[in-house]
Amino acid sequence: MEILLTNHGSYPRIGDAPELQRHRRAYAQFERGEIDESDFRRVEDEVIAQAIREQAACGLDVVTDGQIRWYDPYSHFARRFEGVEINGLLRYFDTNVYFRQPVIIGPLRRRAPILLPEFEFARSVALKPVKPVLTGPYTLARGSILKGGYRTVREMTLAYAEVLALEVEDLARAGARWIQVDEPAVLSHPEDVELVREAVGRLAQVKQVAQLILSTFFGDVAPLYQELQTFPVDFLGLDFTYSPKLPRLIQERGTTRGLCLGLVDARNTKLETKDQIFPILDMVLSRIGGIVHLGPSCGLEFLPRDRAQAKLQNLKALRDAYITRV
Amino acid sequence: MNHAKLRSLGLDLPLLPTSTVGSFPKPPYLTEARAKFARNQMTRSELERLEKQATEFWIRTQEEVELDLVVDGEQYRGDMVAYFAELLEGMEVGGLVRSYGNRYYHKPVIVGEVRWPGPMTVDWWRWTQSQTSKPVKGMLTGPYTIMDWSFNEAYPSRHAACLALAREIRKEVETLVEAGTRVIQVDEPALSVRPEELPFAIEAMHIVTDGLPAYFIIHACYGAFETIYPDMLALPVDNLDLAISNSGLDLLKIFEKDPFTKDLSLGVLDVHSYRVETPAEVKDRIMRGVGVLPKEQVWVDPDCGLKTRTVEEAVGKLRSMQVAVNEVRSAV
Repeated sequence: MEILLTNHGSYPRIGDAPELQRHRRAYAQFERGEIDESDFRRVEDEVIAQAIREQAACGLDVVTDGQIRWYDPYSHFARRFEGVEINGLLRYFDTNVYFRQPVIIGPLRRRAPILLPEFEFARSVALKPVKPVLTGPYTLARGSILKGGYRTVREMTLAYAEVLALEVEDLARAGARWIQVDEPAVLSHPEDVELVREAVGRLAQVKQVAQLILSTFFGDVAPLYQELQTFPVDFLGLDFTYSPKLPRLIQERGTTRGLCLGLVDARNTKLETKDQIFPILDMVLSRIGGIVHLGPSCGLEFLPRDRAQAKLQNLKALRDAYITRV
Repeated sequence: MNHAKLRSLGLDLPLLPTSTVGSFPKPPYLTEARAKFARNQMTRSELERLEKQATEFWIRTQEEVELDLVVDGEQYRGDMVAYFAELLEGMEVGGLVRSYGNRYYHKPVIVGEVRWPGPMTVDWWRWTQSQTSKPVKGMLTGPYTIMDWSFNEAYPSRHAACLALAREIRKEVETLVEAGTRVIQVDEPALSVRPEELPFAIEAMHIVTDGLPAYFIIHACYGAFETIYPDMLALPVDNLDLAISNSGLDLLKIFEKDPFTKDLSLGVLDVHSYRVETPAEVKDRIMRGVGVLPKEQVWVDPDCGLKTRTVEEAVGKLRSMQVAVNEVRSAV
């Protein structure tokens, strides 16, 4: 068995020191019209490259581009589709972060590839494998206001799945080894689990040899664990911080899918200890073979940058100590 | 309205009492002064002089508009959680975290046992009350929101952190009551973020308010209240202040199913809109509120603090609100 240290998705784009605030300054200058878009994109590229270097320096085996180009997990995709307008701010689950709500007014159509150029750039500056991440069709639909084009959440979800399938296909063709689909919304709507299965199934059809990761977070996944075991994906991403019963459940029932263990709390600055993590690894790893991903419970953008780094360094120390012990 | 309680506190308020949620915009000279102070280019006493000047402006403005309850306007506070985090022992101001777009804030960290450092808001309340004959509301941020908006490195759980904060916030409330505050508003905008935690948010509020002779209001805004209603009626306070205008008054519909059993502060001004509502629009919102609740249960205020508006927008909105209330009062 191999434990890969894998980032979840986002990475803090600025730090507290003035030299780590380039992105914020450039963003403000761009908004004020003092620099043009290409100047801003150049800074963005450099910040992404630095975020990738930092992840690798912390010891991660699989990195992300930190989602530094994303305004938020909804509008980053939706604003690039035909048939969508972007509305005001809404709270992103139980975080203190806000996203711009998409309003669906007509049939969804993708104008151009979204993640492919981002993935290709990240890969060109990374020494470690890059995992692209997309917000899942159900979560996008749940966060959208339906004004036209479709009649129900179900229709809207499947329409999002159609356009996102183009994204997955692009990424798979470009050689992404893993592709992560974030579906936090299913945890607060367990009644829609079959709809999520159908929508994610559409993405699975085009993944080719890439490994599809379905990631859930911001809620207790234990009640859905059994259903998720039969989803057409290769890995399940699990947030352990909301789910005290999850380790026991995995130990008892095992898993038919690979697992991405979100054991490190990306919502709190306190660092995890061996006493917290090792017993969970003992329980869970007793039932897994092959590759297991270990990482933060969700994106790291909810932490200050220095704390996010400390979390990743601690993750590496814990993994290494665990392997030595075993 | 909890008339008996208000009378026992010596408060005689008219129908549809008017007030505000707490914060007012800072005039440009104060924003500048705060930046200078942060760069060590201004003394604390000079900054305080300007904070009092701005507070006095807002007291006079509230009197001119004829609001029934006055607030200090929070000219001396930055962020509603950071202000308390900077003062409470056991809390520190943490690193920068993104809120949305290009906006960041310093998220506080609970690093040790939290302890009340002595009065945090009482001096400002006392000074404000000395400047006006109208009753002045006491204003503080609640334990659940301070917990939810902070990192917790010190307590074993969110629950434990919340209750520890509640015990310390109670000391502030006791001190406000001793100073003579009769209406106290506790801000809990995070209240609805995790519906499963409402029971301990209620437990915390018991710690804050039980047995104290004051009329208590909880202010909450921009949450999914439908997920915690009607359970939230168990909060041990007299009045729930809810942002309603921002959501097109949808919230009122849920009160038709399960009657609202407390007094309701009806948010009738959308504080996130630049546009100054007309008195007719505000009147319409009030009428919809009193269509669902007995008018004796209804108080009137903006959805939230007005600090993100300009001074002119804030004053314009408040005038429209008071004109509308006066019209409704004379009509019913």
